[in-house]
Amino acid sequence: MDELNHTESNTSAGQNNTDDVLVIDSLTKKFGKFTAVDNISLEVKQGEIFGFLGPNGAGKTTTIKMIAGLLQPDNGKIFINNRSLVSEPQKCKQDTGYIPDRPYLFEKLTGFEFLQFIASLYNLEPETFSRNTAHYLKLFDLEDWQHHLIESYSHGMRQKLIISSIFMLEPPLIVVDEPMVGLDPKSARIVKELFKSHALRGTAIFLSTHSLEIAEELCDRIGIILNGSLRALGNLKDLQLAARLEHSDLEEIFLELTGAYELQDIINALRSG
Amino acid sequence: MRYIFIAMKSSKRKTLLQPFLLSAKNRFFPKNKIPFRTLGVLIFSLAVCLVLYKVVVRVVTYFHSQNELGIILSLKIFQMAWITMFAMLVFSCMVSAVSTLFLSQDNEIIFAAPLAKSDIFFMRYVTTSIYTSWMMIVFSIPIFAAYGTVFKASILYWPLMLGAIISTAATATTFGMGFTVVLVNLFPAKRTKDIILYLSICFGIFIYIIFRLMRPEDLVNPDKYGHFIDYLSSLATPASPYIPAAWASNLLSYYLMDREIDILITALLVVTPLTLFFLGEWAMERWFLSGFTKSQESFGGYRSFFSRGKYKRSSLQWTFLKESKLFLRDSAEWSQLFMIAALVIVYLYNFKVLPVERSMFEEEYVTNLISFLNIGLTGFVVASLAARFVYPSIGAEGGSFYIIMSSPLSTAKYILHKYLFYVIPFTVLALILLVVSNRLLNIEGPMWWISVITGLIITWTVLAMALGFGAIYADFKAENRAAALGGIGAILFLFTAIAFEMAIIFLGGSPVYRVMRGWLRNGVMSAQDLLTLTGWILASVAISLFLALFFIRTGIRKLEASGS
Repeated sequence: MDELNHTESNTSAGQNNTDDVLVIDSLTKKFGKFTAVDNISLEVKQGEIFGFLGPNGAGKTTTIKMIAGLLQPDNGKIFINNRSLVSEPQKCKQDTGYIPDRPYLFEKLTGFEFLQFIASLYNLEPETFSRNTAHYLKLFDLEDWQHHLIESYSHGMRQKLIISSIFMLEPPLIVVDEPMVGLDPKSARIVKELFKSHALRGTAIFLSTHSLEIAEELCDRIGIILNGSLRALGNLKDLQLAARLEHSDLEEIFLELTGAYELQDIINALRSG
Repeated sequence: MRYIFIAMKSSKRKTLLQPFLLSAKNRFFPKNKIPFRTLGVLIFSLAVCLVLYKVVVRVVTYFHSQNELGIILSLKIFQMAWITMFAMLVFSCMVSAVSTLFLSQDNEIIFAAPLAKSDIFFMRYVTTSIYTSWMMIVFSIPIFAAYGTVFKASILYWPLMLGAIISTAATATTFGMGFTVVLVNLFPAKRTKDIILYLSICFGIFIYIIFRLMRPEDLVNPDKYGHFIDYLSSLATPASPYIPAAWASNLLSYYLMDREIDILITALLVVTPLTLFFLGEWAMERWFLSGFTKSQESFGGYRSFFSRGKYKRSSLQWTFLKESKLFLRDSAEWSQLFMIAALVIVYLYNFKVLPVERSMFEEEYVTNLISFLNIGLTGFVVASLAARFVYPSIGAEGGSFYIIMSSPLSTAKYILHKYLFYVIPFTVLALILLVVSNRLLNIEGPMWWISVITGLIITWTVLAMALGFGAIYADFKAENRAAALGGIGAILFLFTAIAFEMAIIFLGGSPVYRVMRGWLRNGVMSAQDLLTLTGWILASVAISLFLALFFIRTGIRKLEASGS
């Protein structure tokens, strides 16, 4: 497994492949004495959907926040389209669309105004703005609500608005934290299809999720993080090998790799109780 | 059986108060830490109370030294203080009660639990009352205590005074809570909150303007007594018997004057809050659920806004639009404009009624001196308003701040956009205060220019400092902008801004005096005086630039380091 980790992550800063959109090199983040992210290295290629899995508190959101430029790492480097996030933050952010897990928005703006604001921050072409907003608002059934204040939106509507605002920008890299939280089945299906179609057009997608079904269905490669370190990295086959569970699904692999072997005892205890 | 029921009820009430009590304990007395912050707040509050006590003792003593009318007048002010305290408590309790009863985040847990509505009312009543009235109680004690000292009251005055304060506060909060429960049945919760907010602001402005237009400084001017004799005779009559605050005032006034306790009023003070509490409990049982249902239905989704403006690629323009829309669509924010208007009116009115002609110096010297000091006063107004509006503007982005930080807009540009947004209205405000007061003082010539130029330098610097401190101490979890005012950052900003203003004014005293002396005496300014004046202005610009850049840069670094 360590070997697998090593072979997958030996790309150093100076040796980026030209089709690597995101390169993370020895990333570390500590909060006081607690190490939230410990020496993580990985890369995501153009057109690839990369799944980032791990139990609660494993360090997924911290890693994502560092990629989005919201947290400064203590060690390590992040490259987006061969540019360092430290030395060229604006250019890197221009190429990254970040969808958070909790949809905090400007409550007193309307949905349409919010989209205009985001577009202006990313300096989006007016033609692209008109074309894409109309498309995504219609796709997510937000057309009738676009001129209403966001404070009157439901959780799912907010999530759909944020997703629209990022897809509208057509960035080369999309970083998503728990994309399906609060979405109805129709919208969840649409989002999955959007991820697939954008990846086909070359967008790199870094996706953190708890849903193993989503990861199995969407992701070309998966990284499993545990206690801040990458426990395994690769496609489903690689992970099956790493977990020595060659004919198992992702759930079993995940439980095995994240050390949830005591789960069986808990289940037995619950059943006998 | 009945005892078991009562015991269960009281234990449930205790449990319901646990989150409030434990949060307060953890906040003020953190485990394994010396509570320096709590001690600091305590010492600061005690110092404020002491200063307040000394000032009131001096003022009331001054009234007493006048004559019989002075004593009556001081008791009238005593009465006004009680009524104002009561009204302010009713309004602030109603505003808080709408939030705590109907819009609290923990409502879903509390109301889903198997609890009687009366228990919930009790819990909300206790917490809301403490939140809204503790400050009023703490700061009213030195005021009313000062009366006891000046009137040389006996020992019985102190428990009587404390009881009266607590009873009046409890009456105000029980009335406010009960009335809110009824009111939310008529209007949705958010609308009710807005209505109460407008009413309380109008009340505040009314009291403020009326008090100023009464010209209280004339009341202690013996020359004016002839005109006020009719007014003073009406002052001697006791306050209306229907206002609970007047009961406390009358009880203590009788005691201060005649050393007698009115049993009827004492009984009223004891019985009224209890009666109102039980009425509130009953109102809660009767109307709460329908009001709470309404508060959840009234999400405002029926309203659409005109937002079809054409998209342009300017982040500056959109920051302006975003800021102004967020301000104008938030009633708690834009309603403050009325307060500012009242402040400006009273500020300028003070200059209109200034008795410069009674001064022992030449009028022209006095008006020019006032105009010079007015630079500092304007700066103080600007600093106060910047603490309310500009300082919290970064923290006000709340959870949405990630949008800014993850976007390609640099933090420096974001701060610059914010600065440009606020610099326009603040410049207009400062110019109104400076130019109109100069006009009212008949100021022309070099003093006019000195006051306008220095006033603007101070305004622009204070704004930059407010943004800098706002970035350093940004509280993205503050419930609203007003809440940020209580933080350590806001206090530090105010102290720093005022120290900066005082330094500029102090440094300018001598050069401005020299220039103005030459100008007023001979109508000319000597080259040397002009040089010193220019030196002062250049030094002011240098200090301002240094402070503005220092705080803004520190703020940017802090924001970038902490992320969102």
